Amino acid sequence: MMIMLVILIPVIAGIMVPLIPFKKRNHMEIFLEALVILNSLLVWNLLIHRPESVFTLANFTGNLSVSFKVDGMSMVFAGLVSALWPFATLYAFEYMTKEKREKVFFTFYTMTYGVTLGISLAGNLLTMYFFYELLTLVTVPLVMHTLTREAILASRKYLYYSLGGAAFAFIGLIFLIIYGSTTDFILGGVLDLEKIGNRTNVLLLIYVIAFMGFGVKAALCPFNSWLPDAGVAPTPVTALLHAVAVVKSGAFAIIRLTYFSFGAAFLKGTWAQNVVMLVVMFTIIYGCSRAVKETHIKRRLAYSTISNLSYILFGVTIMTPLGMVGALTHLVFHAVMKICSFFCAGAVMYQTDKHYVHELDGMGYKMPCVFGIFTVSALALMGVPGLAGFVSKWNLASAAVESGNKIAYGGIACLLISALLTAIYMLTIVVRAFFPVKDFDFKTLEGEKDPNWKMLVPLFVFTLFMVLFGFYSAPIVNFLADVAAGVY
Amino acid sequence: MYYMILSILFPICTGVYLLVRRDMESRKNLLIVTGAFFVVSAVLVILTLCITGNGIFTLFSLTDRLPILFRIDEVSVVFSVMTIVVVLCAGFFSFVYMKHEEKEKRYYGYYLIVLGVLVALCFAGNLITFYLFFELLTLSSMPLVLHNGSREAIMAGLKYLFYSLSGAYMSLFGLYFLERYGNTLTFSAGGVISAEMAAQHGELLLGICFAMLIGFGVKAGMFPMHAWLPTAHPVAPAPASAVLSAVIVKAGVLAIVRVVYYIYGASFLRGSWVQYTWMILTLITVFMGSMLAYREQVLKKRLAYSTVSQLSYILFGFAVMDGGSVTGGLLHVLCHGFIKAALFLCTGGIIYMTGKTRVEQLRGIGKEMPLLMWCYTIVSLGLIGIPPTGGFISKWYLAQGTLSSGIPGFSWIGPAVLLISALLTAGYLLPLTIQGFFPGTDYDYSTLKKKEPPLIMTVPILILTVLSVEIGLFPQIFINYLLRIVEKII
Repeated sequence: MMIMLVILIPVIAGIMVPLIPFKKRNHMEIFLEALVILNSLLVWNLLIHRPESVFTLANFTGNLSVSFKVDGMSMVFAGLVSALWPFATLYAFEYMTKEKREKVFFTFYTMTYGVTLGISLAGNLLTMYFFYELLTLVTVPLVMHTLTREAILASRKYLYYSLGGAAFAFIGLIFLIIYGSTTDFILGGVLDLEKIGNRTNVLLLIYVIAFMGFGVKAALCPFNSWLPDAGVAPTPVTALLHAVAVVKSGAFAIIRLTYFSFGAAFLKGTWAQNVVMLVVMFTIIYGCSRAVKETHIKRRLAYSTISNLSYILFGVTIMTPLGMVGALTHLVFHAVMKICSFFCAGAVMYQTDKHYVHELDGMGYKMPCVFGIFTVSALALMGVPGLAGFVSKWNLASAAVESGNKIAYGGIACLLISALLTAIYMLTIVVRAFFPVKDFDFKTLEGEKDPNWKMLVPLFVFTLFMVLFGFYSAPIVNFLADVAAGVY
Repeated sequence: MYYMILSILFPICTGVYLLVRRDMESRKNLLIVTGAFFVVSAVLVILTLCITGNGIFTLFSLTDRLPILFRIDEVSVVFSVMTIVVVLCAGFFSFVYMKHEEKEKRYYGYYLIVLGVLVALCFAGNLITFYLFFELLTLSSMPLVLHNGSREAIMAGLKYLFYSLSGAYMSLFGLYFLERYGNTLTFSAGGVISAEMAAQHGELLLGICFAMLIGFGVKAGMFPMHAWLPTAHPVAPAPASAVLSAVIVKAGVLAIVRVVYYIYGASFLRGSWVQYTWMILTLITVFMGSMLAYREQVLKKRLAYSTVSQLSYILFGFAVMDGGSVTGGLLHVLCHGFIKAALFLCTGGIIYMTGKTRVEQLRGIGKEMPLLMWCYTIVSLGLIGIPPTGGFISKWYLAQGTLSSGIPGFSWIGPAVLLISALLTAGYLLPLTIQGFFPGTDYDYSTLKKKEPPLIMTVPILILTVLSVEIGLFPQIFINYLLRIVEKII
């Protein structure tokens, strides 16, 4: 029951927003923030006192049912999302003062919370698929929010891409229903080898198709172009949804598909593994190279997300428990790092209306907190030891070495090339901000300053976590290792 | 033990303090504070070296398998003493030199951080600690390169940054594998690769070693990744280029010593393709660096090319893996450190007093600032390798070690290249002396003014000059100490 509750509270809260006649904007803020925090506390409570049993909501024919279960993977993703959401909401309150149609925004923004939790708590493939589709539908209005021509085109693109991807994933779902013993998520896979007989290759093909299908949301290379375009949405959306919730639902779904439905043992060492791994490696390099070329800050970060999502998928495609640990570590750590850098970019846009990298000269002296934090997140994304990114990259690379797979060795090289490119696209911003050219006229920046506490608090909290995870990651990494080993 | 941490953290923290605090009321206050920080840092390092024994000090662990730990051995002593002397000399030199530059506070802030990071590199006890500070070194020294803020300087800074990072990532590639295949990343004389591992993954380990050599070689200016050096050194303020050229590039050398002799072990690499390729690369660099220096007219750039070439002398010594050559290499670390710092500081003095940067403008400079040019001449002789300077001793050991190593071909090609390069060194360093002291008959003596730089500039140069000659006059103390290192690792 608790599971339904945490999914429904945000959805209902979202629907209530336009219905309740708030006297002041403040009241809406308090109402929403209180509910979001309450919901996050409920989620954490649920994760700590984990119900062992499967909660079935509805039963269709045969083995098709809508059911929920809290297992290790759910704990990781639901925990992550519920930890980030209150901060992002706080940030959004401040950010949205400059945008119109706030109520509509907060309606869908809050509903997304519930839907994302639905994905993470889903107990079988069908339920996950249901919420996966729902996620697309509730986030389209958010992308469209500004109602400019550009935004409408972007949201239309987003819709088509996501629905198309889901359709491919659906093919995988059908095959799993036919050839699997159940559609529940069981670590190690559910395929029934007797039913498959000599049709291994067909199933491998289906795996690749489903991988690509879910890969649309995870911005896998040929299907990535919706993500940078969706950057026209307000920054809280780009930061939370297009760096964490939506895109990581894609990665999450792929982890479910690989480790819990098809099973790593079935896929490891086959041509399907090689194909997906190569696609992922290509995306890693492609994302960073495009990021280097891009001069719009948010688009640059969006391309960086594309490459970093493929880090996660690289871990998945190694198809060993250690690979899964690496993938999960990066899933969590990248969320913190990227939301932090997006919030910095958003703070700059909000305070100064600057959107391009070349407008940032000397800004480091005017907004020291924002750019200081941006520097930390840049270093973390590069993977400087002592910050979160190093640990997750270390886990990924270590898993690749351990797997002994020659293609995975190439993947390590891709990770490192990508790290260099990350340094290029992130540090050029830092250098511009803190080391303007000699004759730079600071008078042009008169009046620019750091944003207020509602924006700074989330930034400082995320920075704290980046450093904390960098220096002392043992508890969380051990927990993730347990998840990958199937302890939960 | 805590001295070790203190001597690393004190400069870093004071540097950060200087960066974040608001501007001081007067320049004098800034210099007094900075000077005090320099002296305390130096005292702390010396104390640490005297007090701390050979113990391992683990600070904490990044993950279960990645401890950050420090340990002082003989190699640490050699590198940290050189570091502290050069950084202090150049630091006090900056007190005058930086008068005509802006943003001094920022400069000293990063300077102190670099000092702390360099000390940490010397004290690092395993490869992961080393890597951590190696990255920090790049990040904290980049602001020194782009200090003057011209577009050229910023571009040079970025070039330096991206070259160094690509090198660091290449070596990180190796780290990932070594951590899995070796049992430990802790430095231990003679290497940590077990015979079983060597047999199982031999080829892979060699390939990784090569990647790490090239990667760390970026910092040490080894061909083919040397191009950042001649771009970055000339645009930095002179004392900063002295530190860059004499000490920061040595971090690359130290890294290679650690990887080759303390992780892999000489016996694993001797006779492999990695050793041969490495020797070829260093010899190419030695020759190419000298040749490019010979053709270069901008004095600081000439010295930067000279650094490229001289560093590969050191690396060649390590590549040969013979007792004599390694001794020579280690001794040359000291000699080159003192000499190159002195040379850059001399250039700084010239630029500060006259504003001239090109060699052909400097006719008669010896008449204007004789003391400075005498120092220049003496250390130049040292770099060429003329007795009784330190450079002679180190090159002697290098050549003699190579000859006795018995590696087919290289045992005579090596010394030959070193000799040719020595000739070229004379060719690019001495013209300044000759033009400077013998400007020719058409030189207009009537306009001659004494322009000797102030004492606080000349004293550091004198100290460095004396040290470089000292090594040549009393080599036995140094050699004996270095032989203790060599005994363990060869």
